[in-house]
Amino acid sequence: MSGVRVGNRIIGAQSPVTVGWENVPKVEGGALKQFVFSWFQPVVLFALIAFWFYAPNSIAKASTAIGIGIGFKALLLALEWVNPRFDSWRLTWKEAVTDLFYVGLGYTVIRMAGNFIGDDVMIENVQQFLHWDKVSWFMTLPLLVQAFLISFIFDFGQYWMHRGMHNWHPLWLTHAPHHYITQLNINKGAVGNPVELFLIGLGVGGFFDFLPRAALLAGTFGLAVGTYQHINVRFNSPRWWRFLFNTTEHHSVHHSQDYEASRSNFAGTWIVIDRIFGTCVDGEAELLGMEGGRRMSIPETMAYPFSEGWKSIKQRIGRSVDDDEPSAMPAE
Amino acid sequence: MNPRLINWIWHIRGSVPLPSLQDPDESFDRLAPLFEERGTRWDRQGKMLTFSKTDQAPQDKMSVFDSGVLTIESGSDGRKLRYDLISRALLFCFLAPLLFLGIAQATVAISDHRVAAAKAEEGAHPKKDKPKKKPLPMSAFDKALGAPAPDSPDKKKPDEDKNRISATPAYVFASIFAALYIIGRILESVLIHSLFKRRLNGTERSKDTADIFIRKTAS
Repeated sequence: MSGVRVGNRIIGAQSPVTVGWENVPKVEGGALKQFVFSWFQPVVLFALIAFWFYAPNSIAKASTAIGIGIGFKALLLALEWVNPRFDSWRLTWKEAVTDLFYVGLGYTVIRMAGNFIGDDVMIENVQQFLHWDKVSWFMTLPLLVQAFLISFIFDFGQYWMHRGMHNWHPLWLTHAPHHYITQLNINKGAVGNPVELFLIGLGVGGFFDFLPRAALLAGTFGLAVGTYQHINVRFNSPRWWRFLFNTTEHHSVHHSQDYEASRSNFAGTWIVIDRIFGTCVDGEAELLGMEGGRRMSIPETMAYPFSEGWKSIKQRIGRSVDDDEPSAMPAE
Repeated sequence: MNPRLINWIWHIRGSVPLPSLQDPDESFDRLAPLFEERGTRWDRQGKMLTFSKTDQAPQDKMSVFDSGVLTIESGSDGRKLRYDLISRALLFCFLAPLLFLGIAQATVAISDHRVAAAKAEEGAHPKKDKPKKKPLPMSAFDKALGAPAPDSPDKKKPDEDKNRISATPAYVFASIFAALYIIGRILESVLIHSLFKRRLNGTERSKDTADIFIRKTAS
């Protein structure tokens, strides 16, 4: 495989990656199907923004957001059956069970841990220690500006955390299990070691005071854009959408078995952050995973950062012993 | 105790009648592609085939099974393929509700402890009455667009609610996995029966290009 040059890098030399929007297939089928799968994403996004902007206070609550999130994901699961991107990514019963197990951990154990050691707790301690108040002028901004900033600032932090995970071994050990998925489905974003899921959820939002409605609007970007990172549906996303937002295409490249391709498209929602820092690759990949597509079991996923971390420490200690060896060698 | 009384939880057993005139070698030849997958080891000896799988990808049509035995038996009504397959995923899904019920119990205990600790803290250091908060601001732009005005900040949840952690998600997931087990136990049994039947009768639809592509690259 020769790969394709993107900037200074060769993408797709180890595993097939389609590079360039012009080479990515379009939705096939009748006019109605093409219409639905071309307009679905922007219509849902703008409809949800309008809903959260105008909903009365009695409805604009976190519980409503959870309900909408569950309903939307159920709808997307149905779309996976109607218009899959790849047949090889079709959701099986075992995959559904495994994915839901990680979703369940997120809603229970990880959420509970967040109550004690999450970003809000840490930020509250920092604020108390430094006698800082929350940045309250933020609340005077228009709702949509607040929502954009909450979403963008969080994603900016997530971009660097994610990029750090791909560049610093201790962080990589927490993130690696997520890269053993060999297909993208609606709940695959939750698959991974709980330590990683905790780290990737950290944000600096706690430093700002914002209107509750702005937080709900910001959550809409996560739901109506970020969700498409892991999904087996083919959409004809509009050009402006693909420029601004992360898509399944981008994220499939990130999960590709090709090493160079996997070091691109780090943002969660705003792919424009990758464009700013030169890590964006527009394209698509079908063959995903690590070690040629080995699936990682749940027990291995849970133990991986610790078992591999221990191995790395032992190796490092061993290497430092080896490094000392030459000094113990007799002089010529 | 007869192990079959409980091992039906993770075993799927069944049989498929073989087409007349099909000898055991030909039957296993027809099934062979199912075992030529990444992480699968298999062995054929006469009328018996055994296999085991590790880290099988979801693209493997038998990924839900970790090991199994297939035998060809002759009876008065002709030959049949009998199978006994083991799935750790089924066992895991069967046990998952217990895990989430345990998490629910732990959540209730931790939540109660947190509420009690907060109350004790408040008793020891009573909070001064907070001054009434100013109403939340609203931008002129939002007003012009007709967004509802924000509620008064004093309407927020009482402190006790803030310390309580809900166990409802854990109960919901326990129920989801119970339902998934029932679905999976029936569905996987039907799917594997139908897969073997189609393979043995030669009616399996030709593989799509994605499957061929993946297998080629994986090998």
